Amino acid sequence: MISINKRQKTVVISTITTVILLAILVIGLLISNDRIVTNLDSRNLPPSLSHPFGTDWLGRDMLIRTLKGMSMSIGVGLIAAASSVMIAVSLGIMAATLGRVVDGIISWLVDLFLSVPHLVMLILISFVLGGGMKGVVIGLALTHWPSLTRVIRAEVMQLQCAEYVQTSRRLGKSQWFIAVKHTLPHLVPQFLVGLFLLFPHAILHEAAITFLGMGLSPHQPAIGIILSESMRYLSTGMWWLALFPGLCLLLVVRAFDLLGEVLRSFVDPYRANE
Amino acid sequence: MKKPIIIILAMVLLLFAGCSNSGNSGSEKHIDTTKDELILAVGNEPETGFDPALGWGQYGSPLFQSTLLKRDHDLNVTYDAATGYEVSDNGKVWTVKLRDDVVFSDGKPLRAEDVQFTYETALTSDSVLDLNILDKVVVKDPVTVEFHLYEANSTFLHSLLTLGIIPKHSYGDQYAENPIGSGPYKLVQWDKGQQIIIESNPNYYGKRPFFKRITFLFLNEDAAFAAAKAGQVDMAYIPASFSKNEVPGMVLESIQSVDNRGIMFPYVSSGEKTDDGQEIGNDVTADIAIRKAINVAIDRDALVDGILEGYGTPGYSAADGLPWFNEETKFEDGDVNAGKEILAKADWKDKNGDGVLEKDGLKAAFTLLYPASDVTRQSLAIAVADMVKPLGITINVEGKSWDEIENLMHSNAVMMGWGSHDPIEIYNLFSSKMAGMDYYNSGFYSNPKVDEYLEKALLSKNEQEAIGYWKKAQWDGATGFSLKGDAPWAWLVNIDHLYLVNENLNIGEQRIQPHGHGWPITDNLVDWKWDEK
Repeated sequence: MISINKRQKTVVISTITTVILLAILVIGLLISNDRIVTNLDSRNLPPSLSHPFGTDWLGRDMLIRTLKGMSMSIGVGLIAAASSVMIAVSLGIMAATLGRVVDGIISWLVDLFLSVPHLVMLILISFVLGGGMKGVVIGLALTHWPSLTRVIRAEVMQLQCAEYVQTSRRLGKSQWFIAVKHTLPHLVPQFLVGLFLLFPHAILHEAAITFLGMGLSPHQPAIGIILSESMRYLSTGMWWLALFPGLCLLLVVRAFDLLGEVLRSFVDPYRANE
Repeated sequence: MKKPIIIILAMVLLLFAGCSNSGNSGSEKHIDTTKDELILAVGNEPETGFDPALGWGQYGSPLFQSTLLKRDHDLNVTYDAATGYEVSDNGKVWTVKLRDDVVFSDGKPLRAEDVQFTYETALTSDSVLDLNILDKVVVKDPVTVEFHLYEANSTFLHSLLTLGIIPKHSYGDQYAENPIGSGPYKLVQWDKGQQIIIESNPNYYGKRPFFKRITFLFLNEDAAFAAAKAGQVDMAYIPASFSKNEVPGMVLESIQSVDNRGIMFPYVSSGEKTDDGQEIGNDVTADIAIRKAINVAIDRDALVDGILEGYGTPGYSAADGLPWFNEETKFEDGDVNAGKEILAKADWKDKNGDGVLEKDGLKAAFTLLYPASDVTRQSLAIAVADMVKPLGITINVEGKSWDEIENLMHSNAVMMGWGSHDPIEIYNLFSSKMAGMDYYNSGFYSNPKVDEYLEKALLSKNEQEAIGYWKKAQWDGATGFSLKGDAPWAWLVNIDHLYLVNENLNIGEQRIQPHGHGWPITDNLVDWKWDEK
């Protein structure tokens, strides 16, 4: 048996998960909406070879709906996580560099957002914005930044006090030089890892809020909608409507989580050599 | 070691004995006394209580009160508390003769003053029933009452059919919770949010009901189904998606209704705005070829089978099966080629080959709104959008809340539902006078000829004459609001109302039910019987 070291293992895991995620995203994007037309003759079919995930009460193929839903969720998650990370990075740097007043305000904001449950905040924001895709994305972006902001603020503060930065400053290097040459390299891993670890959160919350009926319109093929629809039919024994989409959601979220983890041990200077 | 086992065995046996005992006593009770009590789960609690002046009894029988007239199961008009009625030649004065033996449940007789009081109260209160046409009510003698209308209106009949008579001497703020009336039943107990218990009224002048005591549980459809499964109720109202599940001891009753669903098209071109700033009109649906092609291409039978699990009928108008439905307006549907032909004749062509037709730079695409909380309407909307795609018409379905739909319904197609035993609904939906009023005629449909027939129908002196005009408004051979004419709607289906009923309970002959699942089934409660099989 070939033994592989941790670095190789990391590469293998990240390759596999990336391929899975990209495949789902690309397939979902490539399948046109024409493939999920209603077919009233073949409704409520259990899984078979022609419909591996079965069909729903309008005769739509559940495999295609699930793939479509997953790629939509990945898209929503990507936008939301990316904007959350942007907010987190800018607020974190501002808090660490712009003095005590700004730091105080931002820390207070972080505490405020962390003290309210994510989902409640999300429901409030997306309700105020009138629901739909826009409401969900903005809601997700505005609720997932606080913990990462804390991490980045601490990181930057630590760097500011580090000896080599102090030395560099005494040597007359500009703020810009310090920011680009010293601080940024330490922030990039945080940025990337933060992005990947926020991702599953965002997807799960998107599914949750849509499941509760506050998110996307109920005919869009989002995973939360598929799951909440299936609830109505569980009592009539149509298990496949919930099982396969649920498993897919689990798979994608776990894949992202794994990717985030291995990426962290890959790029984090403290853990890279474990 | 043996002893404990014996003890356990004994206990188990005792347990079984206990069970079978209680089971026996239950069934003995059934045999000893003929069943005269019922428990029903057929609807939600009426929000405003049991005051007819506030809308109680508009759907289903008022139970506690009697009405002047009523409809039999063929929807013919018969008498309840009245013995006859006449309409004056100009149609403005309706004279109603009352029975002289009608007594309220508190023992006092029902007199013309009570009728006058009822209509005057309903006129000033904020009721669902629109009585604005009523000028005054005049008492001629204790059993004769005259209704003076501002102008002739044949649909005034509907008020006589649905408004329960309330006693002048005991009406007050508490009436809605404590109704006294002359109907077949009286209210015994009301546990708010849970149930009401009613008992037969010993003073009732009509047929004595078979069941002396009836409990109505206020459960939603899911809970009603669960209660039926658990054997706790004799009748439960259920949605079509539960119809496949068999419940032992209960049979599924499917009752035809005019509870219809259809697509309302904006009838005019865009550009105008309402006073509130909502846009009116849609350039695509304003084209009659689009509306007709969609109407012809939709396969309504497939919708009934696929979405309503077969519990429904294809819908062709707002009043299928009612006396004022014009049979001539039925048509063959499910014909995509006929739809394509209509579009081709009207110059809709797919020039750039993207599968969507164009005409003068306009794409054949529009948005169809449905209330996001309603699964049946969602399914219908999605299925219809897929059915018209082969025509080259793109329908973008979008789920919204009713509040949002209200702002968008004049410029977008909407999946709506109607259905009433009152022909005034026809007037409300298709008269240009009702354009933009509430949800009525939200597409701003107008046709002078149709308006003329609708006005004439209102001004008719009797229902027969009115029915002639209602039918002409649909199609008079040249124009009308049906598909043959202007086709301002695409009606899709009428939804059958489903009830799980105890196999021993005989609910008599049911008539076509209006919009609203639940209470209308109580219309013939006095005819229900228990047939032990």
